[in-house]
Amino acid sequence: MSDIGMILDRIGRKLVTEVAPKLEGDYSGGHAAMSGLMAVMAGEAWDGAADRLANEIAGMRGLFALAGADVVVPESPSLKVSDLTAERNALAGQLTTLQRSLEAREDEAAKDLNGKIWMHLMATAMARMPSPPDFPEAED
Amino acid sequence: MLEAELAEKFTAYAEARLPGARNARVDSINRIHGGASRQTYSIDLAYEDATGPKVKGLILRRDPPDSLIDTERRVEFAAIKSAYGQRDLPVPEALFLETGNDALGAPFFVMGRIEGGDPLNPFRLEEVEPHRAAIGEQFFRHLGSIAALPGEGSALADEIDSPALDKCWRRELDYWANEIRSNAMDPQPVAEAAIRHLERNPPPPAQRLSIVHGDYRTGNYLQDGAGTMTAILDWEMAHIGDPYEDLAWATDLLWCGNDQERAAGLTPWPEAIATWQTASGCSFDPAAFEWWSLFSHVKALGIWVTSEKAFAAGDNDDPILAWSGWFTHAAHELMLAMRLGPKYGAGG
Repeated sequence: MSDIGMILDRIGRKLVTEVAPKLEGDYSGGHAAMSGLMAVMAGEAWDGAADRLANEIAGMRGLFALAGADVVVPESPSLKVSDLTAERNALAGQLTTLQRSLEAREDEAAKDLNGKIWMHLMATAMARMPSPPDFPEAED
Repeated sequence: MLEAELAEKFTAYAEARLPGARNARVDSINRIHGGASRQTYSIDLAYEDATGPKVKGLILRRDPPDSLIDTERRVEFAAIKSAYGQRDLPVPEALFLETGNDALGAPFFVMGRIEGGDPLNPFRLEEVEPHRAAIGEQFFRHLGSIAALPGEGSALADEIDSPALDKCWRRELDYWANEIRSNAMDPQPVAEAAIRHLERNPPPPAQRLSIVHGDYRTGNYLQDGAGTMTAILDWEMAHIGDPYEDLAWATDLLWCGNDQERAAGLTPWPEAIATWQTASGCSFDPAAFEWWSLFSHVKALGIWVTSEKAFAAGDNDDPILAWSGWFTHAAHELMLAMRLGPKYGAGG
């Protein structure tokens, strides 16, 4: 049994469609429904997490290369999500510094690179957006 | 504290404060889901006074270990007092406020329960049918009425400062930028870029200072299922400021069911704005609205990162905080990126 996404999906649907309705009227019913919803979302996110982080990292390193900026953030020692997240976060902090410096300039090169940073931020935000699961079988 | 213990302590507390009350008992106590900024209980309190037996419906709002929003219950209590009985606003009566821990183990306040009505889920706005138009009219009329409430001389003004007309935006932006920077668990390049954009492009001064509800939106009012808004709730972020802040927050895309044709997913935009203008006395300024609308996304991110931090730290394990830190955070980050990116030559 190694399909983690499937496991989370099934657990989540069980919570939403079977457990939560039995707890209707009790405070914990809301917790069960919300937890189930997020378990399904976590299953979907689990599958794509490393890919999304790798894309974010590659995108930012590409932007720093275009800027001719020195990047002192080491590459992740593994493909663990925690290691990739640490690398992504370190780069994202530097990206804010770079963008702030570009906003202080009026030349076309700065505006062009800032536009590319925004393209990256738009793509990143889109990729991070989880799709809310649909529960047609749920009573409520 | 267990609910039985809470009920016992609350009975003693309420009996001592209700004029002439004796033989009080809690007939029922139920914690209400949602409202993660306070632990909220609906209570039926039975007692006798000189006129005979009575049952009073009450709402108890007690501070949790941590919450979505770090606010003073004194401010929320004062805001409810300021709006109660004003301009047909359906607002509960503020009854008791305790800022110490002695009575119930944490600060709390008590208000009268408005009978009849359920909250509307902003992600299931279709459930308002066939009363969408009626609820929409009341939604924007009441929003305008709140905007018409003068901050000066109100109970709320006794608790918090009133900014200058041209400083409302600065105060709010500084506050929420600080919330993001103090609580975010990872870098927030979109929020940071948005904050800089808003600083470089300030809005016009407020047309007036008014009471700002701070969280006026679908989900924070009750409706009776027959076309009437019965209660406006969740005043914990109330303050005195620019009424555009409420208008923009109330119509934020997250609460609209992705319906961009209708303001707040309820009313066609021209009608909504006309209703708000009539009730508030303000004139609609697209430039002001654009700024406050973008600011709403930043403010939301401030709430969501605070929620995520509280959940991750184990201060509050309500799953709604995890949902806020994940789904709604992602939604508002996406909105900001898609609205601001094209202004800087990206896409669009």
